[in-house]
Amino acid sequence: MDMTLLLQVTLNGLMLGMIYIVVALGLTLIFSIMNVINFAHGEMYMLGGLVAYYFSEQLQIPYMLILVLAMILVGVFGIVVEKFFFRPFRGELLPALIVSLGLSMTIQTLTLLNFGTEDQSVSTVFPGMINFLGALFSKERLAIVITCIVFILSLYLLIQRSKIGCAIRAIAEDREAAALQGVNIDRICSFTFGLGCALAAAAGVLIAPVFYVNPYIGGLPLLKAFIIIILGGMGSLLGAVVGGLILGTVESFGTLFLSVPASNLLGFIIIILVLLFKPSGLFGHE
Amino acid sequence: MEENKILLKTKDIRVRYNKVEAIKGVSLEVAKGSIVTLIGSNGAGKSTVLKALSGLNPIVSGEIWFLNHRIDSLLPQDIVKLGISHVPEGKRLFSRMTVLENLKMGAYIRKDKEELKKDMDEVFHYFPKLKARINQAAGTLSGGEQQMVAIGRALMAEPKLLLLDEPSLGLSPLLVLEVAKIIREINKKGVSIILVEQNAKMALQLAHFGYVLETGKVALDGIADSLLNNTHVRDAYLGG
Repeated sequence: MDMTLLLQVTLNGLMLGMIYIVVALGLTLIFSIMNVINFAHGEMYMLGGLVAYYFSEQLQIPYMLILVLAMILVGVFGIVVEKFFFRPFRGELLPALIVSLGLSMTIQTLTLLNFGTEDQSVSTVFPGMINFLGALFSKERLAIVITCIVFILSLYLLIQRSKIGCAIRAIAEDREAAALQGVNIDRICSFTFGLGCALAAAAGVLIAPVFYVNPYIGGLPLLKAFIIIILGGMGSLLGAVVGGLILGTVESFGTLFLSVPASNLLGFIIIILVLLFKPSGLFGHE
Repeated sequence: MEENKILLKTKDIRVRYNKVEAIKGVSLEVAKGSIVTLIGSNGAGKSTVLKALSGLNPIVSGEIWFLNHRIDSLLPQDIVKLGISHVPEGKRLFSRMTVLENLKMGAYIRKDKEELKKDMDEVFHYFPKLKARINQAAGTLSGGEQQMVAIGRALMAEPKLLLLDEPSLGLSPLLVLEVAKIIREINKKGVSIILVEQNAKMALQLAHFGYVLETGKVALDGIADSLLNNTHVRDAYLGG
């Protein structure tokens, strides 16, 4: 086997893994403090892609600005959604899950009515390739990996070092005890939900030029994000990062040796193994 | 008691816990600067009273007054801002967070950085053992140390009234004595305390005033010393 090919496949796996991680981090963050499994999370990714398409193809705004705008728009949308659809069901796993399914369908259908079913492509922001130790890697993918790493590190710092991060972790552990310390639970939940949605939107914006945009693209990353957080452990941020790297690598090698559909199967095989042998995931609590 | 000496007052509060009426009309008063204890057997409603006071378990009817504020419809995060800190049953530390982070969470509502440093030092003055453990996850501490973190965390909010739920639970007799000493010290600094205890003897020795709760009602109240000598209290709670 060719070393450069291996390297190339690994780098591709890394990019996919990074995108999955950014989606999964939001999902697991929301789960950890609200006990809500948000099936509409993929739609936030899709909306990010949509914003990228409109702003870059129709309005030709610089891509970095689009990234920021999409995060703000979808983040605010997330805050509104949390207030009206999830707050009444906070902590109630099943009702919240059903609400989120309905929300996912609603957002998808509304998008479909306004956008159509056609795949739309977003033109590439960083054309050209980089030769890295003999492996060819597009500058675009490299930019995606770096941006995702910046997001992941920033989130880590926010959660570990800031006061609001401390409050988020406190709520994740014990909501009542957090309230007793004076934490405004509603406000923190609303912030965290918005943040999670903004991250999903960021992933959607970043990947839009590599793939394409249509109202259904949210399904796949959502599925991958679920695989990742089951693998890494529900609610664990570190688990989401490690899980994403594992899944990205496994899938990209799977595509090399097997077909694409077969490599999609690998994620589920991983889930089955995890659930059989370590149901709490790699870094799960309890 | 004169009105202006009263810190906290409940008027005929009723509380449901798991759909059952756990508190059936309790009226209490806490004088400024005092230690008041609630004693009673398991399920008498002691913890539920504390949860009602801190807002965790809202009351169904009645009134709770703290200084000049009626607090019975406030949320826990607003009640702590008025100066009531609750050390709940089972300590409820953030076990994956460090001791330092737990203490900082206790000071979540405060913005005065300088004073905060002083209060942190005061916590380490009460509990010198914690200083060596500040960067350790709270869940890895011993039961006694966890209790210290729990009390320390509550003190970080600069409370006027401290609600302590079973601080002696699971501690060795020696540690119980130590905790008792610290409770007295905290009180001497001007913090009023409501102490809920199974260990009725320790509680009555510490407290100025006591209430005996039986099935959600006040069965008896009085100066702590007189309760210590009361025959009913002796038979039922002090082991004869």
